[in-house]
Amino acid sequence: MKQSIPIQRIIIWIFLLGALVFIMAPMIFMISASFMPASDIVKMPYRWIPRGIHSENFVKAVAGNDGTYIFIRNLLNSLIVASVVSFTTVLISSLTGYSLSKFSYRGRDLLFLMIMATMMIPFEAIMIPLYMVVTKLGLQNSYQGLILPFLVNAFGVFMMRQYLITFPDEFIDAARVDGMSEFAIYRSIILPNTGPAIATLAILAFRSQWDNLLWPLLVAQTEQMKTIPLYIVKFTAEMHTDEGAMMAVNLLASIPMFVLFFALSKYFVSGAAVYSSRKG
Amino acid sequence: MSRQKKSSLKHHQDRWGMLFVLPALLFFSLFNFYPIFNALFTSLFRKKVLSLKPPMFIGLENYTYLLTSADFWNSIRATAVFTLGTFVPLLIVSLLLAVFISQVKRGRKFLQLAYYSPAVLSSVVAAAIWLLIFDPRGLANQWVNAILMTPGVDHNWFSNSCMVQFATMLVYFWKYVGYFIIIFIAGIASIPVTLYEAARIDGSGNWQSFWKITLPLLRPTVVLVSIMSMLQCLKTFSTQYLFTQSGAPQGPINVITMNIYNTGIRDHRIGRASAMSIILFVIMLFFTWLQFKTTKSDEVTY
Amino acid sequence: MKKALFLLLSLSLVATSLFAAGGQEQKEEGPIELEFWTHEDPNRTAIEERYIQEFEAENPGITVKRVTHSSTKIQELVLTAFAANQGPDIFNMSIEDEYAYIANGRVAAVDARAVGYKSIDELKNAYIPKVLDPVVMDGKLYGLPLELTNWSIYINKRVFRDAGLDPETDYPRTWEEMADISEKIIIRDGDIITRRGFDFRYPYYLVSMVPMVEQLGGELISKDGKTAIVGEEAWISFLDYMKAWGPNGRNLGSPTYKNARKLFNYDNNDIAMALTGLYQQGRIKADNEDFYNSGEWMVVPFPQFEDAKQKAAACYYGHYYMVNGQTSERRQQAAWKFIGYMLSHGEEYLTTVNIIQPTKKLMESDTFKNMPYSDVFRDDMENGHIVYYGENSAKMQELIKQAVESVMLSGVSSEKAYATLKAEAQELLDEE
Repeated sequence: MKQSIPIQRIIIWIFLLGALVFIMAPMIFMISASFMPASDIVKMPYRWIPRGIHSENFVKAVAGNDGTYIFIRNLLNSLIVASVVSFTTVLISSLTGYSLSKFSYRGRDLLFLMIMATMMIPFEAIMIPLYMVVTKLGLQNSYQGLILPFLVNAFGVFMMRQYLITFPDEFIDAARVDGMSEFAIYRSIILPNTGPAIATLAILAFRSQWDNLLWPLLVAQTEQMKTIPLYIVKFTAEMHTDEGAMMAVNLLASIPMFVLFFALSKYFVSGAAVYSSRKG
Repeated sequence: MSRQKKSSLKHHQDRWGMLFVLPALLFFSLFNFYPIFNALFTSLFRKKVLSLKPPMFIGLENYTYLLTSADFWNSIRATAVFTLGTFVPLLIVSLLLAVFISQVKRGRKFLQLAYYSPAVLSSVVAAAIWLLIFDPRGLANQWVNAILMTPGVDHNWFSNSCMVQFATMLVYFWKYVGYFIIIFIAGIASIPVTLYEAARIDGSGNWQSFWKITLPLLRPTVVLVSIMSMLQCLKTFSTQYLFTQSGAPQGPINVITMNIYNTGIRDHRIGRASAMSIILFVIMLFFTWLQFKTTKSDEVTY
Repeated sequence: MKKALFLLLSLSLVATSLFAAGGQEQKEEGPIELEFWTHEDPNRTAIEERYIQEFEAENPGITVKRVTHSSTKIQELVLTAFAANQGPDIFNMSIEDEYAYIANGRVAAVDARAVGYKSIDELKNAYIPKVLDPVVMDGKLYGLPLELTNWSIYINKRVFRDAGLDPETDYPRTWEEMADISEKIIIRDGDIITRRGFDFRYPYYLVSMVPMVEQLGGELISKDGKTAIVGEEAWISFLDYMKAWGPNGRNLGSPTYKNARKLFNYDNNDIAMALTGLYQQGRIKADNEDFYNSGEWMVVPFPQFEDAKQKAAACYYGHYYMVNGQTSERRQQAAWKFIGYMLSHGEEYLTTVNIIQPTKKLMESDTFKNMPYSDVFRDDMENGHIVYYGENSAKMQELIKQAVESVMLSGVSSEKAYATLKAEAQELLDEE
């Protein structure tokens, strides 16, 4: 028994470090390649350490093919869209999740099921009718058009409902006895007590908008309204043989998410607990 | 409080509940239910995107066509292979790594963050990195050849029909394994330590504790995570799409969503594409029903 | 329960009725803002932005908003916009993608006077023969070419000499020679190719591979338009050729290697030959001016098979300017006027962007004749025909792609791939 412990430990560490190499190698590859001229990148064998810093890649990445520096505007657009969406998702999801878990009006469960069902339709299937809605509202090529279809999502509602189901009713009832209005209960009792769930949801919503490609592709028509994934796709199409510049764009586009990730890693990690800790 | 009064108070509260759900109801009606009903409706017509003629009502013909089409069954196969081939290893490996991480004392936080980091990248970025890695002269060949000691072999990551399926799974696996690890670590952390201590007193080794305590108590998490990840896998699109755009053959990785996209957008057959979406919808609905069923039965045994 | 369901359904129905009614509202008065969607092309952007300024100055009351999209994405963007009855006023795509817009009556006929001609006949007469055929339907003309392109073989002389070949005499004239010469040029590390001889334009099967079948006596569609994939022998020997080319044959390259048209410009000793158009010269100049000026590249005609039954060069394909037919006549007229203004600069398009607007005037001009190797492209164009276009052409291309990939990569026999291709292509044709 005592002998087996070091062996067990070694095996565990071999697995953990093997996984670490597999997961980190592509990330390190992106970083190291973004400092290399294209001719050094697809070369056998790959040299992980760049011979000096090829900063032209970053100049190209930011200035763009046409030197308009639209990258910065696109980055800003992504930040705006993702922040607004993550704000509204939290707000509406918590309100809806509260309603669906703590009230018992007729049709509540049906409504919940129907909202859940929307998770099962792939976006590719509804993009044309959705586009029609947005153009009819005259919102193509605007922030509203980019944001509106994502104000809230079924997963958010699901998560908040599951989280609030286990929220003790006594608190709510006590507040009602104290004469608090229903909205005040939501604002000062429900919202402050859903911290981890809200943080997770906000991060998930932010991430999914940061990642969104297909919808901005349809709606953002001018360069000024495009978002970062569109910039990457466009840049890649134009510069697809300049791998160094390509990787530089990818690296720059990932930095805001990484900053967020490191600043809020507590919520990335603890938030996941929300997911798993709900009782069966 | 009289019964009458209580029920009217309750009525009053529930009206507030309905009011709270109204913004979401409006939103979902306009941006989800309407497009879905539109797709359901369209699936009953022979409709081409650009045609200005009124579409012809053909009942279930789109569905019968699809169910006899080899191309559509290939998509079902591709989707099933991808889903099983991705989420099963994902589940096993992430659970295993989560258990391992929980065992070590040093570097736990670092490992969690490192494993999670690919999930932070957007899928466009992930695809771009892996496209370079899968280049015939790229890292994938170099590494595999170094490990297998087979210099100069091209493993045809994109051109071989098995390898290209494996490649799509690998990208997805890489991107999401850290995410599931973290969920499982949280699940493991919520298991009371006293249970393990009791087991140790009974003389159980680590391995036995895993089977006797960790796994049974994690079951709800496993079920939830597996259904969620399965639904995600069934909807996979971007990796396959970007790979085919870069020269990978379409047949082996022509998942349903890509087929929907190509049928609707490239071939303009929006009626048929809608029918395909509805079939996918039904498949996913079935799995969700399964989830509700399994979690319900859990509640009884828990 | 029922109440909620009723509410949901009625909300959705309200949404439906709100958005079902199509059609764009027309403003008959006031200034016009034309929306013009085109694909990304930095060199063209510079000159067209200038044309817009000049045009707006000459035509008060009309403004033009030029919107660029990536060339691989523009099809779906235009399609979605038209599906929502919100198409741009002016757009251009390749003809295979645009044909459906004509067939479905989505685009407006050319207004010859607005473009700057006295009549349609005078306009048609200004272009070289056949090039307007794809945009004519029921005697009406629906588009004007922004560019018409065909492909010939670019050769990097340095790579040839490095492999011990003389580019001037040893260049490939037949596909058999193409394979043999590529074999001599190729450098491999094990199976992995680090220098290639030639790279096919894989995604463009209709433009570059159908002519190879035609050389062997086969056809994509029979003359009467009823049978697909004609000439079993020709198709099978073409597929055999591709099989021998691929990684399971002589291993001369495959669709998964990086495509050559941009790699060629860098002159990095990666690739000796590429199949591309006259426009490539502008791209070489932009990417690598030294290489462009070095005279170390040349252009030779599209190869033929040794036992070719007929001469066939790469198909030519084109982008045509089209005008949204769902807007007011006033807007359409303004749009054609603007297109006419842009197209009056054919020589500048040729010299700065290297694209050909195939008017008789331009093709006979000294500017064209003085372009390096323009005679090669002109001769090849005479031996070629317009690419197959139709509502189903994208799907048709996909079927050929699957056939070629299955023999090259998955080891399917040419006979089996032919049979699959034939059956599926015929089904596709019959559906129309």
